[in-house]
Amino acid sequence: MTAPLTRTPEEGTAAPVAHAPGRPGSPTAWAGSSMLGQVRVLTGRSLRAMATDPGTVLFGLIQPVIILFVLTQVFSKMGHPPHFPKGVSYLDFVLPAVLVDNAVQSAMQSGVGLVDDLKNGIVARLRSLPIHPSSLLIARSISSLVRSAIQVVIILLLGITVLGYSPKGGAGELAASAGLTLFISWTLGWAFIAAGAWLRRAEPMQNLAIIAIFPLMFASSAYVPVDDLPAWLRVVAEVNPLTYAIDATRALALDVPGADAALPAVLISGFIAVVGAVAAVLGFRRPL
Amino acid sequence: MSGLTVPVDAPMAGDDIMIETEDVGKVFGSVRALDSVNITARRGTVLALLGHNGAGKTTLVNILAAALPPSSGRARVAGFDVTREPREVRRRVGLTGQFASVDAQLSGRENLVLIARLLGADRRSARARADELLELFGLQEFATRRPGTYSGGLRRRLDLAASLVGQPDVIFLDEPTTGLDPSSRLRLWEIVEGLVAQGTTVLLTTQYLDEADRLADSITVLSAGSVIAGGTAAELKATVGQRTVTVTPDPATGPDAAAAALRRAGMEPVPDRENGTVVIAIEASKDIAAVIRALDHAGIEATELSFGEPSLDDVYLALADQQTRPRPAAPAAPAAPTVVP
Repeated sequence: MTAPLTRTPEEGTAAPVAHAPGRPGSPTAWAGSSMLGQVRVLTGRSLRAMATDPGTVLFGLIQPVIILFVLTQVFSKMGHPPHFPKGVSYLDFVLPAVLVDNAVQSAMQSGVGLVDDLKNGIVARLRSLPIHPSSLLIARSISSLVRSAIQVVIILLLGITVLGYSPKGGAGELAASAGLTLFISWTLGWAFIAAGAWLRRAEPMQNLAIIAIFPLMFASSAYVPVDDLPAWLRVVAEVNPLTYAIDATRALALDVPGADAALPAVLISGFIAVVGAVAAVLGFRRPL
Repeated sequence: MSGLTVPVDAPMAGDDIMIETEDVGKVFGSVRALDSVNITARRGTVLALLGHNGAGKTTLVNILAAALPPSSGRARVAGFDVTREPREVRRRVGLTGQFASVDAQLSGRENLVLIARLLGADRRSARARADELLELFGLQEFATRRPGTYSGGLRRRLDLAASLVGQPDVIFLDEPTTGLDPSSRLRLWEIVEGLVAQGTTVLLTTQYLDEADRLADSITVLSAGSVIAGGTAAELKATVGQRTVTVTPDPATGPDAAAAALRRAGMEPVPDRENGTVVIAIEASKDIAAVIRALDHAGIEATELSFGEPSLDDVYLALADQQTRPRPAAPAAPAAPTVVP
């Protein structure tokens, strides 16, 4: 049986045989890969890049952690506004919101990651291979979810050990709250993957994060109860999907009323995920 | 050909046409990038697409690699229709673009393993294949480094290795040596020649005429999305180029005196005072003898006399020049696989 490669002694001028008949383990015997296999391989690729460059995980933590420290240090000395839940410290109140903030930042990073892929040449290579183009998008969203989960754990550990976060709900409720946060991160990620697939540049997405998400976090129940916001802001906050996400994750973690916001939060983010995924596939299909 | 009725399962037996297009056109918005392109390449041959920037070379390559759908016409690669059976086409082709299509975040070896895994290899054979290719391309010592740290020549080699992971029947090389130093170009040429010797079909796009001259069995010249000429390098030269004799007369005589003597013999010499030479365009080989006789008759000593075949450069410039005038009668060489409209 012919070896798939032959080689002349020097200079390596010989090249692979075009047709090596189906020797086990040789490329012509490879059957192609399933979409699940492709997603697994490509997710592994993103995670490996993350492991060799943990800066991306840590960098994403900077803003949420700064907000966490600044807000708790500044506002914990002030009196609570009238509608603040009874028996809850400001740290306990704000930490679930910081997790949601992190979820949004992380979602944006999945879009930035896709833009990086589009720039770095791998997408051009993948397009020439017999694989499903959406495998890369799914792999992106999964690896982003993993990064988000690592960040959630780090923020929770920081909150509990350094700041003294002690949510009233039990461990199960805290896990449910974190799980919902991750679900929101993953679904929002699809909106940003779609943005990345269409815009193909990181800057507009980062601008979007600054001009839209940053104000939306403040015009929500994140840092002050909605009922304590000025009237016009309250109107924004009540239609702001982030309010549902924050109310639901906070209610679960702190065992305070508001857990009924979980259903709209899941429905809204599920809708965003479906629309985002379709838009992402369509945008990604366009020629480079 | 009746591409639409051919069954999907296998190329026809004995059919060794690996690339075939039928009136392929591509329109981007209002820009016509390709217009009724017809090309053919047989197994184990190199077809060069020659053209300047924007001639449509990359667009055609992307269509043939099933990375871009044509707006009109049909194309078959390795026996499969690029529009109807793109996955079958992608399984059988390798694409090396103008820009390195490798993952900057992974090492050279990880890149090759990744591609093998995506093609369905298990972890062990993926690693084995990556190591084979690294050795073949002389990349072992760079295997663990990221492509960003590679020189241009190394990156091109890694890119070519990446497109060979699945042992493709057809490889597309889109300006593979643009920006490479001479020794890297030579190295890449040798690799391509090795592949072709073993039956791989290569479609090469290039702006370098010496590259097409060295590697290609046939050449198609593209200009503004249309095929303007095709044939072997020799056929193109014979059709368009001109053979010349260059005489370097004794410095004491000088080019002007030599030119005058040749003019008296009924020739049209062009003196080149800067180089001290005279260039005479000739029709046939026997005209060389006429040049020597005329010089001898005038008693002029020539220190050097050389015979020049036209370069593909001359061919390309002549064709590009014709493009500004009405459509030229393209050279329809019967032996040439390229079909000229």
